[in-house]
Amino acid sequence: MTSRLSKTLMLVAVIAILAFLLAPILVLIFSAFDGGNIFRFPPRSYSLRWFEAAFNHSEYRSSLWVSTILGLIATFIAVTLASFAAFGLVRGRPAYRLGMEVLLLAPLTLPLVVWAIALLSIYAELGMNGTLPGLILAHVTITIPFAARIMIATFDEIDPNLEAAAKSLGASPFHVMRRVTLPLAMPGLLSSTAIAFLVSFNDVVVTTLIAGAGWITFPVRTFSRLRTEGIDPTTIAIGAMIVAFTIVVIVVGQRLFQLSRRF
Amino acid sequence: MKETPDIRPITTAMLVAPAACLMFGVFVLPFAYLLVLSFWSQTPGSLRMDTNLTLANYTRIVGDSYYLGGLWTTLWLSAVVTLICLILALPLARWIVLHAGRAKGLLIGLSILPLVCGALLPTLGLVNLLSPLGFINGGLKAMGLIQTSLPLLGNITGVTIGLVQAFLPLMLLPLITTIERIPADYEKAAMSLGARRTVVWRRVLLPLMMPGIVAGSLLVFCASLTAFVTPQILGQGKVVTFASLAYQQAALVLDWPFASALAMVMLLFLLLACVLGALVMRRLGRTV
Repeated sequence: MTSRLSKTLMLVAVIAILAFLLAPILVLIFSAFDGGNIFRFPPRSYSLRWFEAAFNHSEYRSSLWVSTILGLIATFIAVTLASFAAFGLVRGRPAYRLGMEVLLLAPLTLPLVVWAIALLSIYAELGMNGTLPGLILAHVTITIPFAARIMIATFDEIDPNLEAAAKSLGASPFHVMRRVTLPLAMPGLLSSTAIAFLVSFNDVVVTTLIAGAGWITFPVRTFSRLRTEGIDPTTIAIGAMIVAFTIVVIVVGQRLFQLSRRF
Repeated sequence: MKETPDIRPITTAMLVAPAACLMFGVFVLPFAYLLVLSFWSQTPGSLRMDTNLTLANYTRIVGDSYYLGGLWTTLWLSAVVTLICLILALPLARWIVLHAGRAKGLLIGLSILPLVCGALLPTLGLVNLLSPLGFINGGLKAMGLIQTSLPLLGNITGVTIGLVQAFLPLMLLPLITTIERIPADYEKAAMSLGARRTVVWRRVLLPLMMPGIVAGSLLVFCASLTAFVTPQILGQGKVVTFASLAYQQAALVLDWPFASALAMVMLLFLLLACVLGALVMRRLGRTV
């Protein structure tokens, strides 16, 4: 086989795999613009009526608020806690670093369905079912692994000698933090904020179980309507907006602070 | 790398403690509670818990072909998904690292989309693609390749496709990281010494990629084993996985002790997979 031919074949394979990876997402976006009454792809006529329907739907509007507020609070707490822990683990080099990393990253591999069920039964005992603090705690727990992973990598890359140099030149610890460490860690902080928010915003499994009737998020509303009424075009329009929002965050994040390199 | 820590142990502990306490209280404790719960029992139809320790829940799983079948399906499905992810991710990861050039960052960003979009939304797109009247079946019919629709939804094929799509990024990311660390000269050196392509792959590239392959496989296997939303939607209730059994028992039947036992069996297999992964890595540490 000539190397030119093999290169072309390789390119075709790569494009096919990427297409497979992204096709469902593209399908979702395109079919939201369909003018018909059912979910179809490719669209046969174009219209914005389902976006209109989604925006006029007061239940969806209120759950959009719930998602946004919950996501912002959970992200703030998770990124703060993860950054403190990551800084301690990297700069302090404690003997328990590996164990702590496993603890912080565990929710990535352990079954969240099972955990949510267990948490629900504990919340029931404490009277925390369906409360906002309970929901926030759950969301902090599922976003911490992403934030911790990015922040550990970020602090690992920052040369501690820069901090030592600033200190030896007479800067106070607070000053070192504000003028040296924080600016250097900024791309990592922004990356982990973006990813943590997206994870919290898009979660279905944990929120479905923990939220109760009071705090229904955007994706949970979508999922429950999907189960009771099947796929209707309003659901698709909303899904398309969430996905489009996610893509914008990732592309902008990539341009501004090389999101993918830190993930 | 300096050997002495930059901050005092007490400061370190204070920085780490809040996150550690949270993870312990909200994440580890519920699992511990679940372990205890799995040895309790509950009379069907009532919510009263019998706190005498019993193995009944576990013997029920082992003795019932319905649950054993679900376990077998889930394990087999996870293994197949892991293998397919590996086969697809290897060329893609290598191409992104070696040939993507300036598009590299953007491509990596786009490939993590299925991961951060959550399980639900990409699955909705897949439902449309795979359904009997959907894009794939419609296209194949229009080209005259098939007369009747291929059954791609509500069976194991659909669930496999959905899980591969959802978890490919979990394989891709560790692979990209390890491939980036392999110096480009190694391959050239091996070739210039007369090694054929297959030999270069078997003797040079694959062994160097092994850490990424093991890490990625573990992530994909664990994620598939416990996946819930994707099998639920694409399997349309006809593919019984272990996570859906546990969910059923906990949320619908309300038999919490039995649901906990099912969950513990899932955890056992996760643990086995991790131990196996660690063993492979240790062996590699000695030979490579």
